[in-house]
Amino acid sequence: MISQIEKLLERVEKPARYTGNEMNTDVKPIGDAEISFAFCFPDTYEVAMSHLGMKILYHIINALPYAVCERVCMPWSDMLEAMKAEGVPLFSLESRTALNRFDIVGFTLQYEMSYTNILEMLSVGGVPVKAAERGDADPIVVAGGPCASNPEPLHAFIDAFMMGDGEEVIVEVVDLLNDCKKKALPRAERLRLLAGIEGVYVPSLYRAAYNADGTLQSFEPTDPAAPVTVKKRFVRDMDTAAFPDTIPVPYTQIVHDRIMLEIMRGCTRGCRFCQAGMLYRPVRERSLEKLMEMAEKLVGSTGYEEISLSSLSSGDYSCLSALCEQLMEKLSPKRVSISLPSLRIDSVVKDSLAQTQKVKKTSLTFAPEAGTQRLRDVINKGVTQADLLAKLKDAFEGGWNSVKLYFMMGLPTETKEDLEGIAQLAKEAVQTYYSVPKGQRAKGLRVTCSASVFVPKPFTPFQWCAQDTMEAVKRKQMELRGLLSAVRGVTFHWHEPSVSFMEACFAVGDRRMADVLYRAWELGCKLDGWNEHFHFSLWLQAFADCGIDPAFYANRKRDLEELLPWDFIDIGVTKRYLKLEYARALEAQTTRDCRLGCNGCGIERIKGLCKLCE
Amino acid sequence: MIVVFEKGYALRHIGHLDLLRTIQRALRRTDLPIRYSNGFNPHIQLSFAAPLSVGVVGLREVMDVPIQGECDEAVFTRELNRALPGCLQVCQSRAVPDDFPTLMALVAGSRIRVEVEGGEAADLVAKAFDRFMSVEECVTLRKTKSGENMTNIRPFVEEAALEAKPDGYTIRCLIRNQKEGSLKPAVLVQALCEMAQVESVSYIAYRDQILARNPSGQLIALEEYAYA
Repeated sequence: MISQIEKLLERVEKPARYTGNEMNTDVKPIGDAEISFAFCFPDTYEVAMSHLGMKILYHIINALPYAVCERVCMPWSDMLEAMKAEGVPLFSLESRTALNRFDIVGFTLQYEMSYTNILEMLSVGGVPVKAAERGDADPIVVAGGPCASNPEPLHAFIDAFMMGDGEEVIVEVVDLLNDCKKKALPRAERLRLLAGIEGVYVPSLYRAAYNADGTLQSFEPTDPAAPVTVKKRFVRDMDTAAFPDTIPVPYTQIVHDRIMLEIMRGCTRGCRFCQAGMLYRPVRERSLEKLMEMAEKLVGSTGYEEISLSSLSSGDYSCLSALCEQLMEKLSPKRVSISLPSLRIDSVVKDSLAQTQKVKKTSLTFAPEAGTQRLRDVINKGVTQADLLAKLKDAFEGGWNSVKLYFMMGLPTETKEDLEGIAQLAKEAVQTYYSVPKGQRAKGLRVTCSASVFVPKPFTPFQWCAQDTMEAVKRKQMELRGLLSAVRGVTFHWHEPSVSFMEACFAVGDRRMADVLYRAWELGCKLDGWNEHFHFSLWLQAFADCGIDPAFYANRKRDLEELLPWDFIDIGVTKRYLKLEYARALEAQTTRDCRLGCNGCGIERIKGLCKLCE
Repeated sequence: MIVVFEKGYALRHIGHLDLLRTIQRALRRTDLPIRYSNGFNPHIQLSFAAPLSVGVVGLREVMDVPIQGECDEAVFTRELNRALPGCLQVCQSRAVPDDFPTLMALVAGSRIRVEVEGGEAADLVAKAFDRFMSVEECVTLRKTKSGENMTNIRPFVEEAALEAKPDGYTIRCLIRNQKEGSLKPAVLVQALCEMAQVESVSYIAYRDQILARNPSGQLIALEEYAYA
């Protein structure tokens, strides 16, 4: 007999998304484990399998002798329809177990526009979508990841959030829930106990009240088990932190189909729009020896042909040249190439450029973010035009012909001059290429200029700022397109303003956004991160149905004294510091890289955590 | 090294290029003396006898793996199997000289098997199969790289047998490649469905063997092709 799932696979696009059996995924039988964890990635297989965090936690949970972790991804629309029509519940890749048969269902929150997928996955997986409707027999639904730093729009669907680095807290959560399961404790008791773990936020144990103008009036625990302030968790030492020496190797092509070697966590730059830069403080490097050991093990267990050095700012890694050299030497017999993904233009990269080209030439990415020095100072992007052009020249002389330039529009204090500066910079990039003698440069220049829309993010100095209205964004995009069309050799990419608008609503949203999310999902919204599935009109209807004005979230400048929905979380960096940084931004005053001296961001309060501010 | 391998049931939805990459990575996981191509993008140049259609299980697929120097056949099989997932395993390795003909040029046909799941539609398809074997011509739509065309698929099929089982039918055919190429199991099943006037049947297709013609004109298993 051919199973029902097998029959569905005959009918859908890319069936290999659902078949599992990849190398390094033959984990223990689910029936043998005391407790089971479904690691849910709320996007398609190709996106999910490109995510390093999932591979780390998958490895950590499966290393626990009593637990098993299996992967669950968001099916594509054709598969979803087929599953619903045939009554097949959402299942795990490893053992094809239905989602509601797991003890713990864990989501990673990477992107606001995947929130509807969480509701859809719970629903198709047979788990009550609303946390309040779950019973003792239903799984405990947990979530973590960068977007958990403002958990409120998801408070109605997630039983418990984990704040910060997941490596340690996930083990404590699984451990505790395993204990609860043995004791057959009721759900409410399990949640109360979870709230006692540092870094865990159980939203049902808190109450929010609002002022007449819609702003938050108060936010407090309703249960003594819940802490007033939820403290983010930190991995102290990256060398001793758990890291997989074997990771799943997909059969089908995924977005990032390579080994991601996390060389460090955190960034010292302090760009004021960047949430990751604030959330992942302090900088914690892995040692050269540890990285070499990891790289060798991973190449041996995966056979991957490419390694990327992954971090927020790989160019800042203190032993970058030595690392590249040693990796090259060790891995060239296996013809493994090395790529540096988030290359910073002000890093000492020339040496590493010479190294990477030995094996393979890929496109180089630079992120000046803003078009003028004034605005780059406002956002504290400590690079100058001269820097950028010098690095571009190095790259073109080194034989690169393809560069990507990333900008943001709608940044606080932006003027017409700043937009024109973007076009000017693109133009000078092209001129730099032509300034390299013909014989020395590679043929076929390609400059890609991308301009995304500024989205205010919690825990950044710009968390109080308004996003440009969609009309303003569209006007600016038209203008920039006009300016760039005059520059030969440049391709311009821009983002759909309505998507950025929705991102802002969720990024800085409060508990009432949960109603909008639920309504939008009821109206059929899902896979919103994919253009062909994003229906802005349905979102507007959801806002209208809930009587909520989206501009209140996206386009409103917040008062510095306003109680923000995420103020109860301590991520390490203090609100005082964010305010200081915001004030400096408005005066176009830069703040030094914290490797040059401690700026007192708040991390120093945690003894021994930051090696730089000791 | 000529390698005979099984692409199992769990892997039948993996396309040819994905399979190629999977085997290249598996080879990189071993310490076998693999030969990499020269140039800017050094890689392992595998050559397959005949790409398998997506959805078909391959029981004895054949590929040529370039190696440097010599390697014991048994060691090669053992080491590569350690690096491969359980649903993709080597059955046999055979060292051949460098001037061994390209596998693709040797392929003359294949033995395929279609396991049809029982039911009303299956009964009709089984009857249609007997009719199919008794006619000289069966023209059906066949999609190829160069587009769609109407092809008489009957000449592809030889030595066919139909076997009724408690839970369905097994259809076994020897496919003899024609100048137009080979015949995919899916095209055969589609033609049978058209003859039976049913929309579709549930089935799993297998390629049991890839065939070559030996100097005397006989069809033999490709991996047994003797090179003189």
